[in-house]
Amino acid sequence: MSTDSQIWSLAEAYVSGDMPVAEQAVLQNRLATDPLFAAEFNECLNMLRSLEGFGAYSRFQHMLQDVRSKQDTTPKRSIPLRDHYFRTAAIAAGIALLTSFSTFWVLTHSDKKGNASQYNVLSRKLANIERSQSQIIKDIRDKKDAPTPPAPARYTGTGFAITNDGYFITNYHVTDGSDSIYIQNHEGRYFKAYVVDFDTKSDLALLKVEKNSFRFSKTDVPYTFATAKSAIGSRVYTLGFPDDDIVYSEGYISGKNGFEGDSMQYRLEIPAAPGQSGGPVIDANGNLVAVIAANSPENEGTTYAVSSRAILQFIKKLNKDVGIRMPKTNKLGKLSREEQIEKLQNYTCTVKVYKK
Amino acid sequence: MNKPLYTEQQLLVNLALGDRAATEQIYRQHGATVTAWMVKNGGNETDAADIFQEAMVVLFGKSQNEDFRLTCKIGTYLFAVSKHLWYKKLQQQQKQPSQLPGNAGIDDGFDWAYEDDIKTHEEREGHYEQLNAALEQLGEPCSSLLKAYYHKDMSMQEIAAAFGYTNPDNAKTQKYKCLARLRKLFYGTSAKMGN
Repeated sequence: MSTDSQIWSLAEAYVSGDMPVAEQAVLQNRLATDPLFAAEFNECLNMLRSLEGFGAYSRFQHMLQDVRSKQDTTPKRSIPLRDHYFRTAAIAAGIALLTSFSTFWVLTHSDKKGNASQYNVLSRKLANIERSQSQIIKDIRDKKDAPTPPAPARYTGTGFAITNDGYFITNYHVTDGSDSIYIQNHEGRYFKAYVVDFDTKSDLALLKVEKNSFRFSKTDVPYTFATAKSAIGSRVYTLGFPDDDIVYSEGYISGKNGFEGDSMQYRLEIPAAPGQSGGPVIDANGNLVAVIAANSPENEGTTYAVSSRAILQFIKKLNKDVGIRMPKTNKLGKLSREEQIEKLQNYTCTVKVYKK
Repeated sequence: MNKPLYTEQQLLVNLALGDRAATEQIYRQHGATVTAWMVKNGGNETDAADIFQEAMVVLFGKSQNEDFRLTCKIGTYLFAVSKHLWYKKLQQQQKQPSQLPGNAGIDDGFDWAYEDDIKTHEEREGHYEQLNAALEQLGEPCSSLLKAYYHKDMSMQEIAAAFGYTNPDNAKTQKYKCLARLRKLFYGTSAKMGN
């Protein structure tokens, strides 16, 4: 009987995956050399797996039965009428209240995403925020050659280059209702820009810097756009401008679909603050995989981002007159993270939006 | 109202683990659709609950596979499987012609996939029935001990206490003895049945 115990405890450890590597090696060796033992061991394994499967199966069925019986009891007809109507009335009142509040909310914030409590667009309102000292210093320095906006921006977001000659992408909600738009590059210089096209559904806007001689940097855009959806768990990072300075944050893709199952988006676990809307989400190989769009105030750290596929579709649908040549070579792949960021800085900018 | 809402992917992962909240959410989200359809197609609410429960078991069984993935939404899957199960049941009761009506599947190209899943499910049920029969045949205390461990998910410590063993190790030795007997019984009988 002692051999019985041995083989079963071996099989049990093997099935549960608790077996140390050294023992596994010994076992594999014995399985390979002793066919009689191997046959017996396999039968034990099958037995244990069957029993475990059967156990899980019957537990699940019990639970189902229980869930079902609880479901059945909810619409019992023996509820006193008054209680019955009270419930209905309460629900109706609740819905009425909810409707009026949400209508009120929609009217005050004419925002495209309805569910405010779970979806915060990440453009930053600046009406009451004083510009930082460094900003003012830069303004004074640049006053001679660059156009300077007349007043502090009302909303800011982040943008990133698609072509070196001034086309860039940000979120539609950043530019929505804009009067005029300026970008500020990482050197602090301002350039006037205009909206070329936008798509409210995917929350994307394509903009262009007005000045024809404008270049983001000396070389072409160094990242390419991922054409397929990235896997859950992929490590990603983003650059954005929650303040006047560029900020780096990293995280991972936590869901294939975004807010309320939106397949144009990803769900990310990455910290993002207002002002980072439109920030590029880059994976370890330097592919652009998404654009930050919004976060979830309920779960801190959960961020929603529009996928690169949505961007590619959006650009494909553009008017033919808009000549955009997408970047074809990825120059970030072999660089270290620090070097990647150093390069990326040139191709990201603050988008400052003025509204009447 | 404050219960966490799982996304489809989370739902599947948690369902595979036999999580109750996930199961309840699936019931809430998709139970009514199937019931409404069943009532329109010659069933009553009890039939609907039976069929939906079985469809859930099919999905659960499928989710136990390591390379499990669902090519459609959970709701679509459950609805399609429910339809197939229901037509099958009607067929057995000979209330319907043996061919599935044209509208049986939502996307006809995938009908065979649902049929396959249902077939696997039936085979699995058969296998577990045999296993259960073998367990019953084992007699006491083995039958109860193995059921306590595998079905009720009790620890060896709890089992030792419940069955009056002096320590978990003794209970474990007993369990191994039971397993050895079960193996002889199960593979013995299935071999006989195979011949």
